[in-house]
Amino acid sequence: MSEKVAVIVRKEVLENLRSLRYWGLIVLFVLLFVAISAAISAAMGSAFQGREVPAPERGRPATRGVAELRLVVQFVGSLSAAMSFVAPLLGIALGFSAIVAEREKGTIRLVLARPVYRDQVLNGKILAATILIAIAVFVSTALSLPISATLYGVTLTADDLSRLMLSLIPSILLALAYYALSLFISVLSDRSGRALLYCILAWIFLTFVLPIAASMIAYSVLGPPPAIALNRTSATGVEIGVTVTVVEELPPQLQDYYRKLGEITSSVLMISPNDRYFTLVNALFTRRSPQTTSYVDLGSIIATRWVDLAVLAAYVAVFTLLSYIFFVQRQEVR
Amino acid sequence: MEYAIETENLTKIYRDRAGKVVALDSANLRVPKGVLFGLFGPNGAGKTTLISILVGLQLPTRGTARVLGFDCVKQSLEIRKRVGLLPENYGFYEHMTAYENLEFLGRLDGIPWGELRRRIDEVLELVGLKEWANAKVKTFSRGMNQRLALAQALLKDPEVLILDEPTLGLDPQGSAMFRELMTRLVKEGRTILISTHLLHEVGFICSHAAFIRKGRIVAQGNLEELAKQYREARGYSYEVVVQERPEDLLRELRQLEGVVEVGLENNTIRVRASRDIMRELLGVTGRYQVRSLRERAPTWDELYQFYHGGGWGE
Ligand SMILES: Nc1ncnc2c1ncn2[C@@H]1O[C@H](COP(=O)(O)OP(=O)(O)OP(=O)(O)O)[C@@H](O)[C@H]1O
Ligand SMILES: [Mg+2]
Repeated sequence: MSEKVAVIVRKEVLENLRSLRYWGLIVLFVLLFVAISAAISAAMGSAFQGREVPAPERGRPATRGVAELRLVVQFVGSLSAAMSFVAPLLGIALGFSAIVAEREKGTIRLVLARPVYRDQVLNGKILAATILIAIAVFVSTALSLPISATLYGVTLTADDLSRLMLSLIPSILLALAYYALSLFISVLSDRSGRALLYCILAWIFLTFVLPIAASMIAYSVLGPPPAIALNRTSATGVEIGVTVTVVEELPPQLQDYYRKLGEITSSVLMISPNDRYFTLVNALFTRRSPQTTSYVDLGSIIATRWVDLAVLAAYVAVFTLLSYIFFVQRQEVR
Repeated sequence: MEYAIETENLTKIYRDRAGKVVALDSANLRVPKGVLFGLFGPNGAGKTTLISILVGLQLPTRGTARVLGFDCVKQSLEIRKRVGLLPENYGFYEHMTAYENLEFLGRLDGIPWGELRRRIDEVLELVGLKEWANAKVKTFSRGMNQRLALAQALLKDPEVLILDEPTLGLDPQGSAMFRELMTRLVKEGRTILISTHLLHEVGFICSHAAFIRKGRIVAQGNLEELAKQYREARGYSYEVVVQERPEDLLRELRQLEGVVEVGLENNTIRVRASRDIMRELLGVTGRYQVRSLRERAPTWDELYQFYHGGGWGE
């Protein structure tokens, strides 16, 4: 790394570590995760009342009961829900003003009139953002983990903790995907306010609109479900990873219809960074079989879920590249 | 002669929604080495655009510019290693202190850590901000910002200083400090280009100037060269300081060929002539009790009025 880049990284990191925006988002994550945990444990409280949750015995995690395994799944679900909300905001907070605010304030004139290349400025900013995101994701998880775990009454094993650590990687990638997108918007913008608006619109689209749009697309492709009288039978639960899918015994045409609907929806959602993130976290906490406590090994996760990693990485790569092209090639300070 | 700054048919055309703006129109600027050079022109004349091109903040549409022999497009980095810039509309990182801002910018200048601390202390002392080194820039007044902007331009001890409206917001002491500093830096061999329209504040310390209007350099040179064109158009003026009642002298002066106007104020006679009459004046005044005779050089203000007020090149 060149010295100039290191100088920029240092300044960016220090500047952000002092900003309210940065710590505000860490606090937001902690509050969100703790609040979700509290709400869910309160809701579950009555359900678990009287039911014995066997305390995990030291060195014998295999004896964890089904109830506690479910609890871990719930716990990870709350964590990823909070993270999928805060990580994009963190990426946006670091990215939207990265270039446009320096243009607006005029600091960029002092920087670019010095012997530095424009790509070094971007390198420094991107590297600093990666460091800041990693710190924020780690610190906020570390701060909230004990509180939430206590609220849930869940005891995390070493195995759980190492998977939680690994799940920080998709979290960082998710935040970086939004950072790269915001950086690109920042490079193109003249005003910070505008840049923030566009970033928020992109976030709303990817987080809230896209899932609805995906199922709407699926419905419009498939048309309404075939009209067949439902023959209600008892439902059987099948546990797949952390999600519990209830497949009703439906007539084959309907089963086929809903299967296709799900397929189309999830293929549209392939472009959703949030959805890729959830899929990766789910994969990390998938057990070898419903009855064992050991998780699927990493090699086979990567073998089956590399597409999700690739989509997140593509967001980062494409928008970073576009930022470079527009920032470096234009060569004009406006 | 080698110039510190030299532009050739430098043209900049901005295109925006409103259409085209020709900000620079074949400007040919020549700044000799080691002088304090003023770039004088009204708002919108193209001063900032020209300066931005010199340091690589903008690209020219046509033409070339060289600073210390380096091309402003192909060798911009070499230029930026050697030029200290005080730009227009600059800003600092407001949540960082003056010292931290200078530390960051100085590191980007390539000043090694070891030297940087001493250098920052020096420039803060020079601009009178030493006590404010550890204050956050957001607490700074406009004039303090401007002093800090000057400090950052001086950090790398540059061969060439380019300053865009450097006295904006400075108090009288600040302006005086600035003039003194500039005069000293030029004596030490640096080249300084100052763009301004505040001639009464900085103009008079310049030895050379260029007048820029609507993107064109309408005149440039040292004071003597610029005054020559002025005199040819506006006439020559002289001041004769006398000791006693100069009735006869006044009469004789009025009779000289080419004299347009003779006026008396206290004991100073002002003579305006359409041609150079220094030799004749020496002859005439030799016969009277005269304390001094000198040709009055036009001030930068008068030159500015002349070159921009429609008296020239229109
Ligand atoms: N980014 C831009 N886009 C479009 N037009 C511009 C831009 N920057 C400057 N101009 C136009 O170019 C012309 C020259 O502007 P410039 O800023 O160089 O003038 P100036 O001499 O520095 O003026 P001032 O004394 O007000 O600072 C003006 O007409 C201005 O409107
Ligand atoms: Mg200007």
